[in-house]
Order: sequence, then C-alpha cells, then structure tokens
Amino acid sequence: MPRLIAIEWLKLKSYRPFWILMILYFVVLGLVLSGVGFFLEYLASTGGGNFNGLDPSMVPFYDFADIWQNLTYMATFLKIFLGFIVVISITNEYSYKTIRQHIIDGLTRWEFLASKLLIILTITVVNTLFVVVLGLILGSIYSPVKGLDVMFINSDFLLAYFLDVGVFLTFALLVGMLIKRTGFAIVLLALYTFFLEPIGALILSEVYDQYTFHQYFPIRAINNLIPVPFGKYAFQEVQDYVAVGDVVLVTAYAALFIFLSYRLLKSRDISG
Amino acid sequence: MNDLSLEVLPGQVFGILGPNGSGKTTTLGIILDVIKKKRGEYRWFGEAPSAESRKRIGAILETPVFYPYLSAVDNLKIVALIKGTSESRIDAVLETVDLHERKQDAFKTYSLGMKQRLAIASALLADPDVMILDEPTNGLDPQGIAEIRQLIIQIAQQGKTIILASHLLDEVQKVCSHFAVLKKGKLIYSGSVDEALTGTDTVEVAADDMSLLEEAIQQFTHTESVRPEKQFLRVRLTDNQNSVDLNRFLIERGIIVSHLLQRTNSLEQQFLQILATDSNSALNSTVNQTATNHA
Repeated sequence: MPRLIAIEWLKLKSYRPFWILMILYFVVLGLVLSGVGFFLEYLASTGGGNFNGLDPSMVPFYDFADIWQNLTYMATFLKIFLGFIVVISITNEYSYKTIRQHIIDGLTRWEFLASKLLIILTITVVNTLFVVVLGLILGSIYSPVKGLDVMFINSDFLLAYFLDVGVFLTFALLVGMLIKRTGFAIVLLALYTFFLEPIGALILSEVYDQYTFHQYFPIRAINNLIPVPFGKYAFQEVQDYVAVGDVVLVTAYAALFIFLSYRLLKSRDISG
Repeated sequence: MNDLSLEVLPGQVFGILGPNGSGKTTTLGIILDVIKKKRGEYRWFGEAPSAESRKRIGAILETPVFYPYLSAVDNLKIVALIKGTSESRIDAVLETVDLHERKQDAFKTYSLGMKQRLAIASALLADPDVMILDEPTNGLDPQGIAEIRQLIIQIAQQGKTIILASHLLDEVQKVCSHFAVLKKGKLIYSGSVDEALTGTDTVEVAADDMSLLEEAIQQFTHTESVRPEKQFLRVRLTDNQNSVDLNRFLIERGIIVSHLLQRTNSLEQQFLQILATDSNSALNSTVNQTATNHA
C-alpha cells in the first residue's frame, strides 16, 4: 500500500492543475461555509427572505449541535468539484496511455484500481478534516455554547459527510473509467448528478407514484445521508440524525462501484 | 490473429516483421496482458503469465508512454516503484541512452528521438531478462535510427533476449538473430536471419536424372545445402559461387541441366510483395529503400 501511495504521489506532486483545482476548491468551500453568517446578516439588513417574520441573523446556523448538519449539508453541494478532480486523475491515465504502461510494467489491475481508491480515500479524509477544523473555528466564534461536551454533539453528520463524498468520488471514478475521455466524463458526471437522475426520478415518481424505488438511485441515496436541516428554522419537522439504512445503502453502492470499475478493467483491452 | 504460434528462446534477438496492421502490436499486447485474447495461450519463462513475470520484462508498445509534465527521473521513479526495483539504476540507464544531461527536464520538452531513448531506458531500468521493443525507430531521422539500432545491438550483446517488432526488413536484418513474418495476423515464416536473409542466393537446377544430379551437387565443394522442390533442386552456394560455377562443374561431370535459374532470396521477395500490395505510401517508400539496399 505505501508503494501505491508513493506512485500516486509522484504523479500528483508536480501536476499543477491538480493543486490549483484543490486549492480553489478549498478556498471556495471555506468561503461558502464561513460566509453563511454574513449572508444571513445581509438578508436581515435588507429584510429579504421568508423567515416568518424572524430576524434572519438570529438563525443559530453555527451553534454547536446544529453546526455539523448545517455545514456538512452546505459542503456537499461542492463535492462535484472533487468529482472532477478524480475524473481528471483517472482519464489522464487513459489519455497519456500510462495505465497501459503500468500494466505492462507489472502492476496488476487491482493494484491500479487500489491506487486510485487510495487517492479518493486521502482526498475524502483531508476534505472531512477541513470541515471539522473549520466547524470548530466557526463554532468557537459564533456559538453561544462552547466546550468539549457540546462540540461534538451530532458529529455523526461528519461521518455521513465522509461517506457522502467518498462514495460520490467512487462513482466519479467509475464514470471516468467508463468514458476514458476527460471532457466527456466531466460533462456526463455533472449531467447525471444534476439532471439525468433527478429528472428521471421525477418522471418515475409520476408514473409509479405508489413505489419509492427512485429513493434508492445512487445520487439520491448519497444525498439522503444528510437531510436538509434548514426547515427547523421555520418551525418544520426535519430529520436531524443520520439514518442507518442510508449508511448501509451507500456503503453497498461503494462496493458496487468498486466492483464495476474492477470488472471494466478486467474485461476490456487496456488502451488509450 | 489467426493460428499464430511462436517460441522465442533465451538470448535470441527475435524480430517480428510485417506491414502495419499485420498484428505485430496485437501479438505483443496479448503477451503483455493489455489486449484480450479470444483463445490460445502464452507462457513467460516457462510459467503461466502474471504481473510478476511482467516485472521481469522491459517493454514499450507503440509510442513512448510517460507523464508529459514529469521529468525523466520522476517518470523512471514511477517505473521503479511498479517494478519493485531500486531507484539507484536510474542514473545509469539514463547514461546508457545518453539522456543524463536532460534528466530533470519535463518529458514533453523532449524530441521524438529522446522520447524513444527514454522508453528504452525505462525498459532497461529493472535489468530485465527480456526486452520487447515495438517499432523503436518509428518516426526518427536517419541519425536517430542509427543511434537506436546501435543501442539495441549493444543491449543484445549483453545477452538479453530481445523481441523487436518492425515493418522494416532492413532493421530486422541488421539487428535480429531470428525472426518471424506476419501478414494479416498469420505467420508466413519463422526462422533464423542468417539462413533466410543473408548469405548467397539460391540456384534452381533440374536434369533428367534428378538423383544423379543431387549426388553430383553434393560433391560440389561450394554447396552449402540442397533441398528438393517440386520440379527442381534448390541449391545454396557459398564462397560467392553462382549458377555459372555450378553449371561448369556439372558439365565437367557430364550432367546436362534442363533448368538452371539463379534466384535472389525468395523470402525477401515474398516480403517485398507483402509490402508492395499494401496501399500505405509510407510502406511503398520503404520497399524502394529496402530494394535499393539490396540492389
């Protein structure tokens, strides 16, 4: 395993597009997550938004206990950019034909896949830690309650976030391997995530309204991990916990994506 | 591929000769486990093939393949990690292919010849038992071609087994000890280069009494081999002797021949025909070049 990480590190350490995209992603993620407070204050100053007559700046967005579901929910919207980075890292291997040379040089197909999964794991861990650290900083600034006993209440959403991003990136890996071309794969990943599956699910729910199988589509299943938290600020009932069923489902999806990626590597000629 | 069966023995420099599209790269791709075979089998070092056996092989398929943004050294470090060998040989192999001075430059800044040389350095890195080179001089200028060929001959002299795919007869003849000719995935010929391509031309001889004729030719001191064919005997002569010398000897023996024809090597002609029927103009120019070389 250290050998596979060393190989990937050599490839990435001088690959500028990777670092530029990564830095850009974290800058934007940091701005979005820390900017909500300013946004709510802006809303309050203009009197905009529908908060049932409440002052938006009073919304306890960064309060401990609430903060983890709020931050992770917001953060999942940006995971598509990490998906693009993963797609690039796999389609590059096809466009440079280095995947073929790796196999010729003596890497097994499984080792090749494992090296990419390790990259996904690393990105996901770093990404989750980033949100943890940012959450602790923002919470310590804005939260009226502080201290170790409250800081990690509801932190199961961090685990959900870890799974959410990790499984999505595994899906991105599968798409990249299937399509092989960077541009196509990025467009298809975005199309599927934002249009094909949601619209398809909508149509299916109209036709088969008594069934809810579209709940189990991959992107929907991943997004179900962290439910929309904001309803509670308008006095609506929201799911404020991570459902075990959702965790099981996305874990099964991760296994399926990895299995399909491996089958692709096994069954096709390795070409550029 | 169709019914192709080949065996390469240790120490051979084995050429796979054939026009573009004849299945050279496909064959190599199959034995390197990157192209799926429908049926058939292959073995490496007498064993079932695996990633471990591929680590003992240094191979380039078609074009040199490296990360364009990485330096020669970083690219070779990746190869060393995959092959499980130490990085200590990187400088040595770069020295061998004369890329030492540019080793910190990105691969994309290299000329085609330098890229080919880096590919050979990469194939040499793990000190492999077998090297596979696919069209290693493709697209190079005459000087580059000469350099690469010299390098291959140098490597072959160290006793490594080399498999070289090429569409250039000349290249195979200059570099290889054994070779096979492919056309449309079929094996046309397989044998040693010395036997097939170099040495003297053959002479076709026929007489009324073929057995007497054969007996007489066997006694001719310059006869290397006699092979009966349908209508005549095919005789290979040494010492620059030709049909005139053979005829003179037979007349002295009192044998009158009914058929006497000096043939330039038939395999070469066959190969030229294969190339000539190919519509690819690049190949046609190769034919001319090859023809000139042997004129």
